[in-house]
Amino acid sequence: METILSGVFALMDRLLPFAFAEPAFMKRALLALLLTAPAAAALGVPLVQHRMAFFSDAIGHSAFTGVALGVLLGISPSWTMVAFGAVVAVAITLVKGRTELSSDTVIGVFFSTVVALGIAIISREKGLTRNLQAFLYGDPLAVTDAELLWMAGLFLLVCAYLSLLYNRILLLGIHEGFARTKGVRAPAVEISFALVVALVVTAAIHAVGILLVTALLVIPAAAARNVARGAASALWVSVGVAALSGFAGIVASWYLDTATGATVVLAAAACFAVTALYRASRPRE
Amino acid sequence: MTASEHSHTLEIRNLTVRKGGVEILSGIDADLRCGEVTALVGPNGAGKTTLLLAILGQVPYTGKIRFCRAVEHGEGAPRIGYVPQRLPLDPDVPITVLDFFALSAQRRPVFLGASRRTREITRESLERAGVAHLLLSPLGRLSGGELQRVLFALALLDAPDILLLDEPVSGVDVAGEEQFCDFLSKVQRDSRFSLLLVSHDLSVVTRHADRVICLNRRLVCSGATTEVLTPSSLAAMYGADAHLFRHSQADGHGHLHDNEGR
Repeated sequence: METILSGVFALMDRLLPFAFAEPAFMKRALLALLLTAPAAAALGVPLVQHRMAFFSDAIGHSAFTGVALGVLLGISPSWTMVAFGAVVAVAITLVKGRTELSSDTVIGVFFSTVVALGIAIISREKGLTRNLQAFLYGDPLAVTDAELLWMAGLFLLVCAYLSLLYNRILLLGIHEGFARTKGVRAPAVEISFALVVALVVTAAIHAVGILLVTALLVIPAAAARNVARGAASALWVSVGVAALSGFAGIVASWYLDTATGATVVLAAAACFAVTALYRASRPRE
Repeated sequence: MTASEHSHTLEIRNLTVRKGGVEILSGIDADLRCGEVTALVGPNGAGKTTLLLAILGQVPYTGKIRFCRAVEHGEGAPRIGYVPQRLPLDPDVPITVLDFFALSAQRRPVFLGASRRTREITRESLERAGVAHLLLSPLGRLSGGELQRVLFALALLDAPDILLLDEPVSGVDVAGEEQFCDFLSKVQRDSRFSLLLVSHDLSVVTRHADRVICLNRRLVCSGATTEVLTPSSLAAMYGADAHLFRHSQADGHGHLHDNEGR
């Protein structure tokens, strides 16, 4: 595992002979962003179509409680965060399918319950607050090797998952009843999608933090909508915007001495602004 | 009539659907026969869409829905096509009509592009529906009539035994409605599926349906169109004030207006 990473780092030294890429922590940060941001952006396209931006925000905030639980139980918070996020994602999806309430109401109930639970735990455990700082704002410069390998595995998982199920997820987002007549097994596909989103959201928290994680899913997909003419270009533009803003953000944060996660999100927002201007300048069909 | 006279029949017996302790549909009996157009009429909240969903197996129900097929016409579960009323889409959703076909017609993920076979199938079936020019149009920007034709063309791809249309001409202008109905009867002649269409529009029903099922949470009546659509059955469904309202004779366009003034 050490050797794989050192090989990758040597390659990065050759490809990026710049001052910003010299320190090992910068290489790790760059890798972390180039693995999580495009994966998040690819999921973001169907996520936006399913109107699930609020859902991803709720998963992001559930990480707050996941971290608190980890510290409370003496388990690594990085992993309790993933497990708790997955549980909340499945719970929301199951409850949503079984009530007459609108999905944003259901998510709103879960969202506040989970955050309240997190705050309750933290207020009891003094000294937890400092630990949380890194998760709230994200700290890609402090990503560990184990976390990097998890991100790489997740990247491959997202590629495989989308290759197999992308068509069915999009069809489900167009019309559930119609998708079912075309052989889409609605609840299974929906739950698997929620689960994969939860895994990617909790991984991306290392890069940009709880407060900004939804941005990595929503902004590239929104930028893609401004320029894409079809389903294929929508996904590739979204992934491209994510990779570009991940790279540009980390470089800019090195020279401007700003928080890395926030700078990456600002770079993505700049991409969105450019695509919005492009769209406005183009005559409507 | 038996299944052998028609190549297949869908028998609905004593169908009841409950939701939250309330009976939305109770004790429905009906038959859908191959090659026939059956219209499902009734006021808002009569359970028309629920009946479609029950036939599709998408809501729990009690009672029986049985598909009978004559031996020479193959076996197994019926293929049921469904054309929803509208799609809840944003106008800027980045999915074209071709992408939409690709989603169910090919295994290759749509972000790797539409396969040559998908392109051929899509072009052909859009041409048959008279909307070949919509191939690369964004799905969210189609008019009501265009969308109906696209959905219909896509549902036909599976060669369904039974086709369910939910309000096929709502939000379509009179000319578009005529075109759609002509297209419908043309395809219907060629492929001999049983067609169940939900409609508010009695002019469509009287002109195109062979049989009518009148619904208001229970079966009000059913039978041949000419026998069933009588003032007394309309009153039973829509209330005593209902009347068949005719717009100007020029368009000969009849609408049923129920108590809510719809």
